[in-house]
Amino acid sequence: MWKKLYAWLDERLGLNDLYKATLDRPEPKGNWWNTLGSASLFLFLLQGATGIFLAVYYTPSPDHAYDSIQYIMTGVQFGWLIRGIHHWGASLMVMVVFIHMLRVFITASYKYPRELTWLVGIGLLLATLGMGFTGYLLPWNQKSFWATTVGTQIAGSVPFIGEFILKALRGGTDLSALTLQRFFAAHIWMLPAVLAGLVGVHLFLIIKHGESQFPARED
Amino acid sequence: MPGPHHISRRDFVKLTTVAVGAAIGAVIGVPSVAFLISPALRAGSKDAWAPIGNLEDIPVGEPFAFSFTRTQVNGWERTATNFGGFVLRKSEDPADILILSSRCTHLACQVSWQAESRVYVCPCHDAAFDVEGNVLDGPPPRPLDVYDEFQVDEGGNLLIHVKEG
Amino acid sequence: MREEQKKTIKERYEQSLQKGERFWPDSIFKDVLMALAIFVLLLMLATFVGVPVEPKADPSDSSYVPRPEWYFLFLFKFLALYGQIPLLGKVEWLATVLIPVIYLGALTLLPFIDRSPNRYYGKRVFAIGIMAIMVTSMVSLTFISDVPTTSTDAVYLPGLLQTLGGLVVPLAGYFLLALMNFAFKKAPAKAMIWTTAVTVLLMIGLTAGTVALAPILETVEVEVADTLEEQIVAGQDLYSVHCVECHGDDGSVTVIEGVEGLEGTQVMAINGRDVLYTLNDDSMAEVIAYGRPDAGMNPFGRAYNPEGLTKSEIDYIVIFMRYAWDDRYEMPPMEPLFPALAEGEAPSYEVHIAPIVKRYCVSCHRAGKDNLNYLMTTYEEVLTSGDHADQNIIAGDPQSFLLLTIQEQTIPDPETGEEMIGVMPPKKALSADIVDVFLRWIMNGMPETAGEAGALSTMPAATATP
Repeated sequence: MWKKLYAWLDERLGLNDLYKATLDRPEPKGNWWNTLGSASLFLFLLQGATGIFLAVYYTPSPDHAYDSIQYIMTGVQFGWLIRGIHHWGASLMVMVVFIHMLRVFITASYKYPRELTWLVGIGLLLATLGMGFTGYLLPWNQKSFWATTVGTQIAGSVPFIGEFILKALRGGTDLSALTLQRFFAAHIWMLPAVLAGLVGVHLFLIIKHGESQFPARED
Repeated sequence: MPGPHHISRRDFVKLTTVAVGAAIGAVIGVPSVAFLISPALRAGSKDAWAPIGNLEDIPVGEPFAFSFTRTQVNGWERTATNFGGFVLRKSEDPADILILSSRCTHLACQVSWQAESRVYVCPCHDAAFDVEGNVLDGPPPRPLDVYDEFQVDEGGNLLIHVKEG
Repeated sequence: MREEQKKTIKERYEQSLQKGERFWPDSIFKDVLMALAIFVLLLMLATFVGVPVEPKADPSDSSYVPRPEWYFLFLFKFLALYGQIPLLGKVEWLATVLIPVIYLGALTLLPFIDRSPNRYYGKRVFAIGIMAIMVTSMVSLTFISDVPTTSTDAVYLPGLLQTLGGLVVPLAGYFLLALMNFAFKKAPAKAMIWTTAVTVLLMIGLTAGTVALAPILETVEVEVADTLEEQIVAGQDLYSVHCVECHGDDGSVTVIEGVEGLEGTQVMAINGRDVLYTLNDDSMAEVIAYGRPDAGMNPFGRAYNPEGLTKSEIDYIVIFMRYAWDDRYEMPPMEPLFPALAEGEAPSYEVHIAPIVKRYCVSCHRAGKDNLNYLMTTYEEVLTSGDHADQNIIAGDPQSFLLLTIQEQTIPDPETGEEMIGVMPPKKALSADIVDVFLRWIMNGMPETAGEAGALSTMPAATATP
């Protein structure tokens, strides 16, 4: 009976073709270093899921941000767990993405024909750091507030257009409700959209060119 | 059969599609960009005179910390931003006063006065300023900013002229 | 890249595919195991380490020392070190913009900068060497990010080590590697590997040295009240210190007595509905922060008074007022101020006396107030301060001034006979069980810690003496 169901779906979804294209592929002999890429993706999905759940209770306003998180930690069932995973997952994702980049660098997998994959990857690294930076302000505690003050000040040190960049990031000359709001919008919509898009391109390229092999003496 | 001045139907359709797409993109795009950066295009707040303390309470020869707030409307919220500084009375003369801003001239962290070593220290990148605000050590490119416009009213209150934030 | 090189690359890849594995299930198997490991790690971290609690953002408290998240600490430290460079160090945008852009640019355009087809590690010693030094630099800068870059001391060894390890040695390493790679084209890989290894080891050593010699910084412990009960207690303690003088311990005072400069001033009872129903939490917080200068109340908030209370502290006071006096709010079950004493148990300073003193005495018996110099904010102060230090507290002596005054006896001046020390606390007597705590404490010789008190306690149920 399952076979019939599968056949029905296959005729309409093209499951077999999907399988052949994405899953039923040969790969060079790999080792555990090759899991870093999928680990990055796993962390991104985990952050997305925990983030969505956090957004059910979090309020991005200076009056309520801190208290809403305190509520999540003490008043919501398993709130402490969801927030804890999101907090540590962020640090872990930055680390895993960075080590993944190091691995690709050391095995020179960025060379022909995978140059575009590398470019997209750098975009992913920058977007990940952006997620960290924007997410960091959201608890609206002392560390968040002052770290963001200095961070946006650094952005403002760019010659000529620095002042403009600072005001655009902060939504004004100082940190305010506008800053928190736009960092929140960037954190849950804009940067995830960029990340998802880049991840799509990154995966497409990986499937197209295959995982690169670990270089041997002749390479 | 297209002649010298005739364009094929297919090319015409391609051209029109691209043009319409570009027009839609522009109509959506330009307001979107303006929407995002709108607060950055606003002018800052006006200036005001802020009271920072009474001369009686300020000792001579030792920097005295003060703070005041300016309220700015940021979007829908009135934000009270806090500013701080140090008043140094060099002598009993009420005009012989040096008022320094506590904002480090490197990347705007707040400096604090270390009484034992007689320096202003910035905790961010370990900058040091002397009692008059000149740079002793570290990355700041210029001395601490001075509030050079100040006045003392009849009650002995010291007010400083604060310009756009 | 020439066509034949591309062909070779493709062929070698095809070969490796022949000898390889399948994406499904081999690669995916490893991926899933790794995902499981990561998930378990995150569960452990969330459960056993948790998230550190930080106080609420306080834009008026600019004494806070800002630090970025850990993955930006290396940049933060680099800016501080860069600022030490004479002349160039003053141009901040070089360090905040230009250098990072150059690094990022090089990293991004890497496939176009490094066009050689070589992939084997042995043929890429230069690239891997540069990356090794860069990564070591980022890690070591992160580790030394908390060590101050400069000090007012004349010779500051950690500062010197930092500059060496953070700037000089890596730059020398890059320079030497570049020299060997570009100038001496046929430099043996071994020489470059040795240069890299020595640079990295030197940097690690200098980092370890910096951390070992780092001055121990004073950290200010900020207590963050996490639960409602903690917030109410924190608020009550703050209220008892700062507000009781004028407003009374229950907020009911309408005419101020005993406060210099404000004697006879009329105030609204802050525990009444006129205040609690008409002011919301934010308004109450603003009143506390800004004060009511026309009516005689000083600013208590840090936004208006650099030595004042932080936003969090004001919030705790407001929460206390709400739950204690606003009849619309029900006070949650609260722990008692101090654990009740068992028969024969001796109280200690840290468990019993400290919270009592904080609640009932410190508002007057702290620096700057009229208290005959008798301060009570620490154990030492309670025992040794004051104009009558030798008579305030005497171990085992029920005639100690402190014990007499809390039992409603005034102390006359031995020469003039006039009242020297009045009844304590002046406005409202302490309850009997609190007086009992003080009695037992002084009779037992004023033990400081719970351990010392435990040793002195005589419990009725016999612990058979060996």
